[in-house]
This record gives sequence, structure tokens and C-alpha cells, in this order.
Amino acid sequence: MNANDVIDCYVTDVALQLPRKQRNDVAFELRALIDEGLRDKAEATGRAADAAMATEFLNAFGRPAEVAARYRPTLTIIDPADGHAFLRATVIGLAIIWVLGLLVRLLQPIDAAGGLLGALGQWWGSTVIPSLWWPGVLVVGFAGTAWTRRRWPQTSKWMPRAADRIHGGRLTLVMGIVGIACGLYTLVHPRWMLDFFWSGRAAPSAYAALTYADTFLESQGPWLLALLLLNIPMFVGVIVQGRWSPLIRRIQTGLGLVTCGVMAWTIADGPVFVAPVSDRTLKFFLGLIVVFTLVDLGIKRYRRVRPTPNILIQT
Amino acid sequence: MGDTDAFGKLELELRRGVVVLATLSQLRAPRYGYELRQALADQGMPIEEGTLYPLLRRLESQGLLKSDWKTDSGSPRRYYSLNTDGRKLLKKLIEAWQGMNDAMGRLLKEDGQ
Repeated sequence: MNANDVIDCYVTDVALQLPRKQRNDVAFELRALIDEGLRDKAEATGRAADAAMATEFLNAFGRPAEVAARYRPTLTIIDPADGHAFLRATVIGLAIIWVLGLLVRLLQPIDAAGGLLGALGQWWGSTVIPSLWWPGVLVVGFAGTAWTRRRWPQTSKWMPRAADRIHGGRLTLVMGIVGIACGLYTLVHPRWMLDFFWSGRAAPSAYAALTYADTFLESQGPWLLALLLLNIPMFVGVIVQGRWSPLIRRIQTGLGLVTCGVMAWTIADGPVFVAPVSDRTLKFFLGLIVVFTLVDLGIKRYRRVRPTPNILIQT
Repeated sequence: MGDTDAFGKLELELRRGVVVLATLSQLRAPRYGYELRQALADQGMPIEEGTLYPLLRRLESQGLLKSDWKTDSGSPRRYYSLNTDGRKLLKKLIEAWQGMNDAMGRLLKEDGQ
């Protein structure tokens, strides 16, 4: 390989990454400029240009992909300002998918022939590889947001917002109270749902499925009822004040944690319903509520900002 | 070592900010890429070929430069020069640069440098 071959190779590698309409023209110019630069370098060093000298000269030029990229306007898929948010969402999302997939796989009977390694292999194939849809979705979402922001900058203009505002207004809280009242009634009298939807003509097995176990009625039931009831005065307080005051926020956090504790106790303790299928289903949903509540509380805590200096202020 | 790295990065940032102005300033008369690079280097502003040559194309596609192929001295060369919009932009950039330069001069003087 002589110096000409090296230059040809480099120019081709640059040109191939350019749009077809400017490819040949740029290649022609670049070739001429490199020739001239290398000729001067050879004269300065007092020896004929060879492959080694050409390679050294072109390495100083930069990688062909970088040089080609400089010929075109900068293309930004995800705004640099969104880089950290994108990375965080990718890592957290993948971690959740992988952990849930692993739990589901480990809860299933492990094939004696394959053993644990076989199960991990199945998890890799059925969860980890397919989970790459998640970063893909995020790229599309972040890229769409960035494009919208550039196309219509006024839509992404920062607006001040009160931290203690009621999301959705007072009407949302009123609907929340109605929901809690329905939940309370269902908790006290679960068969009401069957009477409501089937006018009392549901199958006897359906009624049997919604029969509470005595142990639940004597232990966790009253606690859950009381904790649900406490949400009503809290919501009424927010409606009257028109905002989430710091005190009410603390009460909400405490109430949420205590409710999660009682729900966890309910899941771990004896049956809630006499029928095993109903019991398993309810406990599954209770588990989901506990997880979502704790995640929500964790996110709120993580997002809390308390301006404080990291070092002592000297007076 | 850390100081050297920081200096290198910050100096690069400073240079990036003036590359376009330096390039435009030397294109009042037609020049081809290698000649332009030599002219900039001779005046204390060396710019890497891999940066300068693509920059000329980008400035041309932005409507600031015009270019022609010429074969006066044997091998064909593409000569670039400012067009009307490029001249107007250069004038504005020079004013902005001089304003910043004056401000930096005052700032650095106040700092006792």
C-alpha cells in the first residue's frame, strides 16, 4: 500500500458517509487538499511521502466519520439537556423489567435438566433481549419531544407552578372522596358489587367467592377500614384550604406508610377471603398498591429540594 | 495533570468560538482550503484541516460563501469567498467580537491580570 492508496481509502471512507449529491464533489476537493498538505509535509521532512507518512497525516485529520459529520449540520436526536433524564429512564425501566422478569421466571418451576443456569438463559432470551423495546420507545419519545420543542419553542416555555396546588382542582378531590366512600362500602359489604352489577342474580359461587374470612374481620379489617376513613377528613381539609399544606402533606405520607404496613400485614397474614382464588387475586392487587404507593412516596422524596449549602457558611 | 486537561479543554472551547470569525475574516478575497489554512496559521490561528475544510462547505450551504473551481496553476482548486450575506454577517460578527474583546479587556484588567 503506498501513500496514494492510503489517501484513496481515507477519502472514500469520508465520502461514503456524505449525502450522495455532494459525495463526489467533496471527495474530489478533499483529495486535492490532502495531496497538497502531504506534499508540503514531505518537503518539510525531506523525504518522499509513503504510506506511514500518509497514515500519520490523515490520523491528524480525524476519524473519517468525524470529518464527514463536520460536513453536515449537527444532528441532535436527543437534546443534550435531556441526556441525563434519558439515561435515568432507560436504566430504571430496564432494571424494573429485568427484575420482574427474573422474579416471574424464578417463581415458575425450574426444569431439573437445565437447572438455575437454564432458567437464567430463558430469562435472558425471553426478558432481557426483548426488553430493548424500552430504550427504543424512549429514543422515539425524547426525539419527538426535542423536535416539538425546536419546532414550537413557545409550547415548552417554562411556567411557574405552585408546589402545593391541587392537581385537577377540587373536583378531583370530591371524586376521590366518592371513590373512598365506595371503597369503604365495598370493604364492609363486598357482595354489594354483585348486587349492583347483576341485580342480586349473580351465581351463588360468586357470592361465596366474596365472603370474608373470620380472621381478617377480626384483625386487619377494622384497621384498613379506619385508615381508609381517615382519608376523608384529610381530603376535606385540602378542599377547604384550597391547597396541600405542608402539614397535610406530612399526614398524607404518614397515612400512606401506615396503610402500606397494614396491607403488607394483610398479605402476609391469614386469608382475606374464604375462597383461595379470590384471596390470591386480592392479595396480588394489595401488593401492587403497596409497591406503587411506596414507589410514589420514594419519588416524591427523591424530587424534594431543600436549598441548603453543602459547606458551613462562615460569618 | 488535571490543570493541563482543564486548560486544554477550555482553550479548545475558546478557539471553537472564534474559528468561524477567523475563517470569514480571511475570505474577503477568494482562497482555496489549503491556502486559507496556511494564511490562518501564518497569523497565529492554526485550524485543523479536518475542521476547516468541512466548515467551508457548511458556511457555503448556509449561504455565506460562494465558491468556484479554478485550474490556474495546474490542479483544480475550489476557491471560496464571502458573498453579500457573508460580508454583512462578518461586519456584525466583528462588531460583536470587538464589544466582547473590550469587555474582556476591562474584566481582565480589573482582575489585575
